[in-house]
This record gives sequence, C-alpha cells and structure tokens, in this order.
Amino acid sequence: MEDFRALISDCIAGSRKAQAKLYHQFAPKMFGVCLRYAKDSTEAEDNLQEGFIRVFTNLKSFRHDGSLEGWIRRIMVNVSLEKIRKQYLLYPVEDVSVFDAVNVSDDVISKMSADELLKIIRELPPRYQLVFNLYVFEGMSHQEIAKEMAINEGTSKSNLARAREILKKKVQENFGVVKAKNNFTA
Amino acid sequence: MMKEKNLDDLFREKLRNYEQEPPAYLLENILNGLAQNRRKKRMIWWKVAGVAAALLLAFVAGWQFNTNEKDQTAGNAFVKHNIEQKANEQTVVASAAKSNETTILAQDNNLSQEKEQKSDSGPKAWSKNNATSIMAEPKLEELATEPVNEEISSLKPRAGLLASKEDNISLREKKKNARMHNSVEKSIDQQIMELNQQMITAEKINKQKARWLVGAQVSPEYNGAQSSHSQAYASNMLKTQATKLDLAGGVSVEYKKGKRWSVQSGVYYSGIGQTSGNSSRNLSYANDGANYLNNTIVKVDASKNSYTINSNAGEVELNSIPAGMVLGASLDDKNYLASAVVVSQNTFIQDFDYLEIPLYLRYNLIESRFGISMLGGVSSNILVGNKLYVDGDLGRSLVGKTKDLETFNYSGTFGLAFKYGLTNKLSLSVEPRFKYFLNSLSSNANVTYKPYTFGVFTGLTYEF
Repeated sequence: MEDFRALISDCIAGSRKAQAKLYHQFAPKMFGVCLRYAKDSTEAEDNLQEGFIRVFTNLKSFRHDGSLEGWIRRIMVNVSLEKIRKQYLLYPVEDVSVFDAVNVSDDVISKMSADELLKIIRELPPRYQLVFNLYVFEGMSHQEIAKEMAINEGTSKSNLARAREILKKKVQENFGVVKAKNNFTA
Repeated sequence: MMKEKNLDDLFREKLRNYEQEPPAYLLENILNGLAQNRRKKRMIWWKVAGVAAALLLAFVAGWQFNTNEKDQTAGNAFVKHNIEQKANEQTVVASAAKSNETTILAQDNNLSQEKEQKSDSGPKAWSKNNATSIMAEPKLEELATEPVNEEISSLKPRAGLLASKEDNISLREKKKNARMHNSVEKSIDQQIMELNQQMITAEKINKQKARWLVGAQVSPEYNGAQSSHSQAYASNMLKTQATKLDLAGGVSVEYKKGKRWSVQSGVYYSGIGQTSGNSSRNLSYANDGANYLNNTIVKVDASKNSYTINSNAGEVELNSIPAGMVLGASLDDKNYLASAVVVSQNTFIQDFDYLEIPLYLRYNLIESRFGISMLGGVSSNILVGNKLYVDGDLGRSLVGKTKDLETFNYSGTFGLAFKYGLTNKLSLSVEPRFKYFLNSLSSNANVTYKPYTFGVFTGLTYEF
C-alpha cells in the first residue's frame, strides 16, 4: 500500500511513465473484472480504457485509507454498470422461458477452468449477468443491487435465481456427464 | 446436488483473482485519452472565460444604452432577442434527441421480446437485431427502395412503435424464410452497416458545427468625426485640418453555433485622432488682453504653467510652449495687444488610443471555401492613450494632452467580411468595417465629439 504513494503522486503530476507502471500493476486483474461484466472482449477493452482514464483523472481524490486496488476495481465496476445501463437496462428484460431445475455436482464446476466459467457468465442475459456479478463478486445485497439498478428487490432476487439456474444448466450442457438434449434459450 | 451457496462460492473462488493481459494498444489509448482530456479542460476554461467576458460586456453595454437614447435601446433588444432565439433552438434539439431515444428504446423492447422467444438466437442474432433497431425510420424507407427491397420491407414494420402482434408473428415467419437466404441477409447487414456509418458521419458533421475560431487582424483606419460645440466655444477653436490615418488591430475569438450565426469578441487596439492648425480668426479682431496661439485664444494658468486651447475634440492642455513656436510679447502690427501672441505654422496632433472589446454578431451569407458574412455589434472602448503633439519645422514634440476625455466609450460597428479558406482550419479574411462612437469622447458640456472610423481588417483565422 505504502509503495503506491510515490507512484500515485507521480501519476497525479502527469508522468506517463508512472501512469504506465500503475496501469501494468492493475490492468490484468481489472481486465478480468471488466470481462465478467461485458458481453464481449471489445466491450471489456472499452470499459477498461475508460475506467483507467477515470482512475488517472480522479487519482487526486483517492484517500489513502482504503486499498488502491479496491478503489480502482470500484471504478471499473461503475464504468461497466454505466455502460450496461445505457445499453440494456433502459428497457426491462424479463425472461419468459421456463427452466427445469437442474442438478449439477460440485465436481463438475471444480474441474472447469476460469475461462470456461467466465464464458458462461458472459453468455447470461445482460441483467442476470449484472445481478450475478454484483451479488457474488462485489458482495452486494439485493437491497443495494435494487438501488443501483433501479429495480425492486424481488426482481433482483428472481434475476439471481434465474442466473444460477442458467449457469447450472450451461454447466450441465457443456461439461456434465450427461449432455442435455434440449436446447435452451438465454 | 449442489446448493446455491456452493455454486456462488465455486464461481467466486475460481474467478475472484482471475487475470488476463489486456491488449498492448490499450495503454497507448489511455495515455492519449488523458492528454486529450487535459486539452479539453483547458478549452473549457477558455470557453467559460469567453462567455463571462461576453456577458459582462453585454451587461455593461445594456446598462449604458438604457441610460441613453431610446433608439440605442432598440439595438440592444435586438441582440437579446437573438440570444433568446438561440436558447430556444437548443431546447428543441434537446427534446427532439430525447424523443428519438425513447423511440429507439421502444423498438428495442419490441425486439428483445421477440428475441427471447426464439430458440437459437445467439450473440450474432442479438447484434443484428440491435443494429436494425438503431436505424431511424426514415433511413429504413430509403432502404426499401434498394434492390433488396423485398426483404427490407419485411423488416420495416419492426421499427414501428405500433406494430401489432399479428405483424410480429408474420414477421417471424418471414424472417425464418429470410434466414434460408444467407447471402441476401448478408447484403442487408452490409447495407445496415453502411447506413449506420452514414448516420455517424452525419452526426459528426453536425457536431462540428459548434466551433471556436481565433484570429488576428490589422487594418489601416481612416478617421473622421461628427462634432458640435456651443457657440462661445466654437468661436475660439483651433481649425481642424484633417482627419488622421491610423492603425488598428487585435485578436478575435469567435463562437460559431449552427450554420449561419456566430458571436465574436476579442481585444483590439484602435488609434483615433485629428490634426488642427490655425483658426480662421482674423487677429485684427483679436480681443484685447487675451493670449493667442495659432490665432486661437489661449487660457494661461500661471500657477500650473499650462496653456489651454479649444479644439474640436475638447480643450487641449499644453504643459509648455512647444519648441519652434514663436512667443511674442507684441507683434509689430498688433502692438496694441498687451498680452503674448504666438503665431506659427505648426500643427496640433491629437492622438487617442483605445482598447476595444467588441461583441459582434455575425451572419453568414455564403459559407464555403470562399465565404461572405455580415457583422454588427457594439464595443466597449477603454482609453489607454491620450497625447497631444505639435508638428512643425523642428519635428514633432509631445506637448500635452486633450482634457476631459471619458475613460469608457461605446461604439457600434457594422461591416462585411470576406473569407478564403487556405486550409481546412486556416482562413484569410478581409473585412471592411465602419465604426462609430455612440457617445461623445469628451465630457466637456460644450463639446460633442463622436468620431467614426473606416478600416479594412485583414488577417488570419484559425478554426478548431
């Protein structure tokens, strides 16, 4: 933490070298965050770019009482959220298809790679993807998610449940011992 | 069987510290973006400063005109009206943009429902739907005239807000058929992409229309003046011989919104002046006991060692008798005069230097590589130089100043502007302008002195 102080002040002073260093320090992890929220890697790249511009522009408002990584991560999440709000959330996407409950064993997921998991998260409908991300990875409550997305808590809960169902089904379909015969919509 | 909690945990564990190296070009983009932001910030500062200056000027001018004649107030009202009209235009544009957005959203909604019911709509199908929905309706109509109009017209109702359910069903069937003809669909996609590109280009052009221009101009200025004086004052006044040719120039800042109108301000230096010589008074009728210089009565203030003479532009004050002038206690043919009489062939030169802060409205008559526009407006003029010279056989010497000059003055300007684009950004301009002072330069109650100038301002303008 302490190491970043000098780097941060150099970045604020406008040193390109310092900015590049800070970028290299956090970019891979933050790209991982952006990828989780985006529908494809182009969008993730855009969000990462805009997020870092925002990081450098607002770096002087960073108070050293929290972790820099957490602060940058929050900016990335915010940028992704804004993008999603603009693109999808302005109209409601209510899933109309009905899913059967699927049983998936823990082992199957344990065997899956991070890339494979990331892929199926990104295949979720935008709003489910967002609720799942906020709940599971940002540790937000349904109340907070509802506030952030301007929906009601019930919708957030049902979106999360639906996201989990779809994820399970995807796992079952793609990696389960018995491949599901029927196609499902998402 | 897996519990919900476990599923969350498994995802979290695997992905919490997930890292992926982003493409190398991103860093360059970010650093360039930052540099661009800094430039934008600087620009915003200039914009704010420019607007503040213009507002201040408008306020001062408005206040001044309110205290003056009514016809001047009318001019001010005209400026205000135009500004209001502009504001209205902006509101209309904003609300139009908003309603446009709503329409697009509604279309999206329509499509997304349809999308959800389709079993095989992957990301590709989504992006295609999205592309269709982004298109504005008029563009769709244009498309319908293209060779693939059959397919397009089947898509057309989808964009409509009021498309009925039946329409949707029939559309879905049609679309299924369309899917069989991949090549046709491809060409539609290409056309959609082209149209989108066109719309983006059109948008860019629109955006470019609100822009800033800075420039620098110089001009020779021909001076004249309209003046009137009280009779007593005029009977003892230096005779104005000629108006002066002076120099003017400065920098201008112009804000251009839309195709026709723009607002301009800046700072100009402007020199005004006149030359005076002997009055036409015949000394045979000279008043007894009076002092004369260039046949004009001189008021001598012995305590200040200064001499005051009436001029066209107000009283001039000499701190000393100029070099080369003859001071005579008495002249041969006027020996009955007790006082000093100074006669010379010297010329008085009065120079007034002003800093001018204009607020001009411009209206473009022709806008292309070669452009013509009209301009008109008001300026605040601040007196920065006031000098009195005497010019004679021994050269020119500074002897004093003109008294009672107002520090602030207001002038009106109108003119024509001819512009020629040297490059996309840089253009050469030639602008004949006529400027007239709205109030008297002198605060002397016996004098009304309103100069006017004619100049041809030539310079360069840079647009960004």
